[in-house]
Amino acid sequence: MIHPVDTLLSLVLLSVLFSFGTSRLPGLIKVVAFQGVVASMVPFFIGHDMSAGGVVFTVATLLIRGIIIPLCIYLAIKKVAIRREVEPIVGYHASILFGLGLIVGATYVSRQLNLPAISQYLLVTPTAVALLVTGMFFLIARRNAIAMVLGYIMMENGIYLVGTTFSSHVRHIVEFGILLDVLAGVMIMGIILQNINKTFDDVDTALLRTLKE
Amino acid sequence: MSQFFMAILIIVFGGFLALLLARQAKLMKLIAVFSLSAGCLLGVIDAGTKLMGSDIYTASFSFLRVFSLGFQMDGLSAFFLFAIFLVSLLATLYSFHYMDHAQKPLRVAANYFFFSLLIAAMALVVCSSNIITFMFSWEIMSLSSFFLVIYNYESAENRRAGYLYFVFSHVGAMFIFVAFGIVYGLTGSFDFTAMGSLTETAKYLVFIFSFIGFGSKAGVFPFHVWLPHAHPAAPSHISAVMSGVMIKTGIYGIIRVYSLLDFNTPVFGYIVLVAGVISGVLGVVYALGQQDLKRMLAYSSVENIGVILIGLGIGMVGVSEGNPLMAVLGFAGCFFHILNHSLFKSLLFMGAGMVLHKTGTRSIDALGGLLKNMKITGATFIIGSLAISGLPPFNGFVSEFFIYFGAFKGIALGKTAFVMCIFAIVGLAVIGGLALACFTRVIGVVFQGEPRTSAAVDVNEKGATMLISMLILAGACLIIGVFPGALIYMPMKAVSALGLAYGNIPLEPFYQMTGNITQSAMILFAVVLGVIALRSFFYRGKTIGKSGTWGCGFTQPTAKMQYTGSSYAGSILEFFSAAAPLTVEHSPISGRFPLKTDYKSRINDIAELHMGTLIVRPVLFFFDKLRWIQHGDIHLYIGYILLAIILLLFFI
Repeated sequence: MIHPVDTLLSLVLLSVLFSFGTSRLPGLIKVVAFQGVVASMVPFFIGHDMSAGGVVFTVATLLIRGIIIPLCIYLAIKKVAIRREVEPIVGYHASILFGLGLIVGATYVSRQLNLPAISQYLLVTPTAVALLVTGMFFLIARRNAIAMVLGYIMMENGIYLVGTTFSSHVRHIVEFGILLDVLAGVMIMGIILQNINKTFDDVDTALLRTLKE
Repeated sequence: MSQFFMAILIIVFGGFLALLLARQAKLMKLIAVFSLSAGCLLGVIDAGTKLMGSDIYTASFSFLRVFSLGFQMDGLSAFFLFAIFLVSLLATLYSFHYMDHAQKPLRVAANYFFFSLLIAAMALVVCSSNIITFMFSWEIMSLSSFFLVIYNYESAENRRAGYLYFVFSHVGAMFIFVAFGIVYGLTGSFDFTAMGSLTETAKYLVFIFSFIGFGSKAGVFPFHVWLPHAHPAAPSHISAVMSGVMIKTGIYGIIRVYSLLDFNTPVFGYIVLVAGVISGVLGVVYALGQQDLKRMLAYSSVENIGVILIGLGIGMVGVSEGNPLMAVLGFAGCFFHILNHSLFKSLLFMGAGMVLHKTGTRSIDALGGLLKNMKITGATFIIGSLAISGLPPFNGFVSEFFIYFGAFKGIALGKTAFVMCIFAIVGLAVIGGLALACFTRVIGVVFQGEPRTSAAVDVNEKGATMLISMLILAGACLIIGVFPGALIYMPMKAVSALGLAYGNIPLEPFYQMTGNITQSAMILFAVVLGVIALRSFFYRGKTIGKSGTWGCGFTQPTAKMQYTGSSYAGSILEFFSAAAPLTVEHSPISGRFPLKTDYKSRINDIAELHMGTLIVRPVLFFFDKLRWIQHGDIHLYIGYILLAIILLLFFI
């Protein structure tokens, strides 16, 4: 029988594939929000004993990761009415192909990593690795700065997934630390974005090239 | 140790308060000066009492659970602490009126904040007992003084000076890191005492690397290039502290490493001695050619660091040759000169600061006749100059006398040591003569004669705290020069803290020597008084006419007829032109009735010149080739990060 954790994670993997093919920012934001919600639900099913504090932590994570951050970004792009396209450097079809290859590669790599604590769930490490690399991919292969921020959030989702597999008490501290990291990161990026937008009237990061001395 | 930490705490707290109160300029200055000087006073008293006894105080705190911050205060530390707190105390007092003209209160507050950090860091440097603590304090010291150097950051010249200082202090720190890295790598311990257990080769390496690193802070030729740029850029009380005590932390580092290595090879002594003679002679030659008053003093610091190193070298040679009297004389001379130099150099910088404050120029040849209006500044500056030239009855004479005496003790030794001692004696003699020429030039041009430009006309010397600091320092110079016996115990305590193998320190000859110095100073005073009495006796009842200096019997003398500093130094500089090339720009005179002409001369520092061609240019060339890495594309930058992570994964 397929464990519910693996079901959830397969949804995450699907969202990864979907994100590679998304061309519009609102769509991408929805994908990331979905991914955040699903990834945050994993701890409920992973079989640790959930204390009251743990539940609160996990729900808070879900709220921030799945709702607050995507909502903020969504409102931000509505407000400044920046261009809605993710402006790829690598095309959509090539991206999807890369995504498929990535999932295969991630499965292979996680076999090598061989983390003992999570061997009963097949997909945790592959998904985490896939999310990390997807985030990196978005940072490198999308010119639109908002798409890059979303890539960063995906990366953090991947790190979060690795964190859920630790069964000790430290877990919540680590998770919350990561969450704070994300919040701070997104805020800083927001400020930078605003500055880029103000200077260039666009959030195309390729324009930053002109700043080179 | 608690009193010491209390002093540090008060000082740093004062700096923080200054930042908080930046809006109330008057109150801020008052509180900052009060708490900084209170902390320094406490520190001076603490160090002074600890120098009386010979106990070793230790303290340690755990830091980040990984390292421990260890402190130890022995005679050597206490000696340096005494100098640091004393000079800082007077510099703080001086700053109260010196900062009067400052228009921007926030900047003054920042200045006090970094000043307090600098004092605290210097004090912690000389008390550190492990590598982590030492480097920690060392970096705070370098960074806070960097911010002090760029106090007037509007001027491009000052920014350049600050940048140069930043680069030098960090390259120097890298060398120290290498030395300490060797220690840690071979012993696995951060503790200073681990240095003693190294192998011989490692000891050589550690000493040489730390000598370069500490030498660049101390201003040893050819690592002194930052010094003549940074010192003039900083406000004068900061220059006084930097030149008076901060560069001495470099000397402290050399001495501390030497004593910890506990390795009696004559090679170390020879290295230090030769470096000392070279920096001494070249420092004073460059000082002689400077047009800028504070720059001249900075080069003179290079010279005095040379004298200190000569003493240190004599001491080291004495230890390796097994001659306790020579060793103690050398070390005692070195320590005494450290204290003395910190007194008279800060006095001179304060005097230069007063001149700069009132006339607005640092150019020596633009001044003149200041003694008439600035009596106290002029008199104290002359005292400082006499002391720095090593003339009796001032303190510079005492320390140089010790070093000479140690060198003469070494003449009876074997071949190499004999040659080195003669080299040291000749070097010291040349340095002394040139220093005298250098300072007679400054006094003759700046304080005597007639004003050369309008900047030097109608000046005054107001600012009670500035005058008081200078008077105290001048008094200290005189008292140490006349009664060295009263303070001889201080350098002696520092020497005995080195823990070198010469058994009991023979104190008897020292008391005899200092007694002789006192006696001859008294005779000198008697002679001077006698000459003054005779003069007034012979001139009694005669009319004495007064006219402009350098008037030379002309009916229409002008200030431009005066002998200039450049021409005074010219003949000496010509002799040293191999080591100090002179650039002269002079538009030729033509025709029977020549029109305007000009003359500009600049002395070139060969270390700076060659640093430019041998180091800076190849480095720039190499890094220009790597410029494509910084292409401005953020996506590829992120790619670099990914690449770095993947590469690192292979090493895990």
